[in-house]
Amino acid sequence: MTENPGNASEQVEQELDHIARVAAVMIDGDACRRIVTPRALEYMFKIDPQDRFLAGDNYDVNDAEYNTVKKTLIRLSRLAPFACDVNLWMPIPGHPDKIQVVIRNAHELSQFWVFGALYQDLFPPMKTVLETGQRVTVKQTPGMISVLAPVYDSLGSVAGLVEVVAHSSPSAHEEKM
Amino acid sequence: MESPLKKAANSSRRAFLKTALGVLAAEQALPAVGEAGGSPASPRNRETRLFALPQFLRPDPFGGIVPADRSAAPAAVAFEKNNSLSLECARGSYASFHLIVQTAVPGEYKLDLHLGDRAGKIEIDVFCEWFHPLRSGEYYPDALVPASLPYRSQTPDPDNKTPGQTAQAFWIDIWVPPDAIPGEYSGRATLESGGQSRRLEVRLRVHPAVVPAEDVVAMDHNSYDDSWIAAQFPARRRATAGNFFESDELFRLIHSYHRIFYEHHGVFHQLGYGHAGRVTPKFAPALEGERSRKRIADWNLYDRHYGPLLDGSAFAQTRRGARPIPFTYLPINPEWPASWLWWGEPGYEAEFVNVVGEMEQHFREKSWTGTNFEMFFNHKKRYMGFSWDGDEVRFPRDLSYFKEYGRLLKKVLPAGTPVRFVFRADVSWDMEQQFRELNGIVTMWTCAGGILSWYKGAPKMLRERGDTVWYYGGPPEVTQPSSAITELALRAWVWDAMGFVHWLAVSPGKDPWFNFTGGGTTLVYSGERFGLVDPIPSVRLKIQRNAVQELTLLDSYKSRHGLEKLKSEATQRFNSSTPDAWWNPRPALADKPPYEWTNSEMEAAGEPTRKLFASLDAAAWSRVRQYVMQLARKTL
Repeated sequence: MTENPGNASEQVEQELDHIARVAAVMIDGDACRRIVTPRALEYMFKIDPQDRFLAGDNYDVNDAEYNTVKKTLIRLSRLAPFACDVNLWMPIPGHPDKIQVVIRNAHELSQFWVFGALYQDLFPPMKTVLETGQRVTVKQTPGMISVLAPVYDSLGSVAGLVEVVAHSSPSAHEEKM
Repeated sequence: MESPLKKAANSSRRAFLKTALGVLAAEQALPAVGEAGGSPASPRNRETRLFALPQFLRPDPFGGIVPADRSAAPAAVAFEKNNSLSLECARGSYASFHLIVQTAVPGEYKLDLHLGDRAGKIEIDVFCEWFHPLRSGEYYPDALVPASLPYRSQTPDPDNKTPGQTAQAFWIDIWVPPDAIPGEYSGRATLESGGQSRRLEVRLRVHPAVVPAEDVVAMDHNSYDDSWIAAQFPARRRATAGNFFESDELFRLIHSYHRIFYEHHGVFHQLGYGHAGRVTPKFAPALEGERSRKRIADWNLYDRHYGPLLDGSAFAQTRRGARPIPFTYLPINPEWPASWLWWGEPGYEAEFVNVVGEMEQHFREKSWTGTNFEMFFNHKKRYMGFSWDGDEVRFPRDLSYFKEYGRLLKKVLPAGTPVRFVFRADVSWDMEQQFRELNGIVTMWTCAGGILSWYKGAPKMLRERGDTVWYYGGPPEVTQPSSAITELALRAWVWDAMGFVHWLAVSPGKDPWFNFTGGGTTLVYSGERFGLVDPIPSVRLKIQRNAVQELTLLDSYKSRHGLEKLKSEATQRFNSSTPDAWWNPRPALADKPPYEWTNSEMEAAGEPTRKLFASLDAAAWSRVRQYVMQLARKTL
């Protein structure tokens, strides 16, 4: 399952969209909300000129919820017959213009995550997913396709979203610089 | 017993006297330094001259000394006198110095250097020093471009393009092998330029003492993945047919990096996986199947990568001789070889045990038994790959994962296996607790130096129970005194630690040649812009190498003089301190849970040693070296 079988980009996109649909049903949004600890959230936006790693050094998760959700994400990624990741992105309470990736996976694919970022500005396609519950396909990085899909809580609200992502063609599999 | 107060008073007095004598010596001796006299610290009016500086005084491109080393210039008064340079070293080591060409007018010059050795054992390596421009406007030499003699070029150097350059510096390495004949050797450096000629006599005294082959401390140079090699050798990548990342050329370059560090008495590490578990193919055997059927399918890339490193053949042509790399990372991480999908279930253990068991068998069959294979977890929660910190644990509940991996590894390894698997942990906040709780599980510790400094005796305790203990930090930038890099090796030895890790040592920045950022993440450079197909060393790497070889020689005298005595003498000479002063008191905050510590509290806890090293001078190691040579002279 590490090789993209050479499907056309459209076929890859169809597979990813299929996984995204399943993800929207399978992932427990309430559990997702419990992953990042209150302490980590408290420190996430603290700034100390004497300690530039303050937020990162205090980043912590509840591992039971984390592992349960991560295992579901891994299972979902295995629906694809090629290398695929399903990443979890969550809004941050009190910071509607921000978003954070909470779980990444083994191929380390994403069109959005910047190495080291604890949170990022909310990307417009993600905002659309959070506000409308619609799936959105993104092809902003050459050679990659992501399908974003909502994650729902037990009340039917959109709690977060998943990024189902893969390379769009086998040639993109050469190791990147 | 002498009171601590009195000791401190004596120490201060000695420091004062040393400073006063140094200034006095400088005032009296300045005319003797350099061929025609004058201070090496301040360039004289332009004239043609050939002169030498000790390794700890780095030259600038204008005939002077770089600002960071300038205050130590008085310590060089005896180095070169009457056009004659005197060197000494033990066998199995290098004698090094800077040789500087200055021309009266811009133009061509020819430099040559010979040393008489009828036995033909002694070898001379010459490197052209590259002057890196900094944003401050200062120039520091660091990258060393191999040169051959006689060397012809011109000032200003057309490649380095330093405005107003009047002087070109060369790093000279004289390699004295263990089987060289002890005694006096003499030779001469000559310069021809603009119809004038200059010469400098070179005298080398080789002591009978031999530097032991095993370094007393392991100076480790860390790196991540291998994409940086492609970035630093773009021409090699373009010239390689097919996938560069699986090519013989890439493996040649990787081996070349190992060689350059090995030749400089160091170790090289490449971590082959990311924070979420992505393994770069050449760092691991290819797998197939899953759960109870998961197994290794193909060793090809792994063996091409590691085979010559693990059997030592990659080092066959080196001066230190072929030997296996002493340490290497395994690709094991929470997602390899077992998928995190099965964590906590029998499937995880099945995948882990199957694959790691095959690895042990493969290594055993290949007789790769001279290397420590490290199971090491580098991931941090903040990079969102896993639910626990593998690197620098701060939250104690994460230790349960270490215990489980320790159990799995023990389950894999057959009793009495000659293959050396070690469980390595890089520790900071929580190290004191981990030393206790992971006793018998983790067997290799890489400790944050600042926090380790609170736990005097911890390295010795770990060594005594059979563990390996290193500490980590980063390369000092070029703007620090030249001796800063020697402090790292000396500190390891004083602390009873067994090594030091430069957390990143191969990243010189996008344009180290004309837009240099200080070198705080590199000790080597790509040689590609000079038409070379290998990495090239740096001044700092050379100074570190020489310190390691001299420290190794010093340590070899412990049976005669006692280790504590040697440490006292070395620290006194290095910075007028005592070995005890290299430790900080265990602070009160160490009794609080590590996740409650603040940065400012930790900073405060390190204040005593920070003050101790704040005024380090460039000649610090030179004084230790003089002591080592003093002992070597007495060794028959």
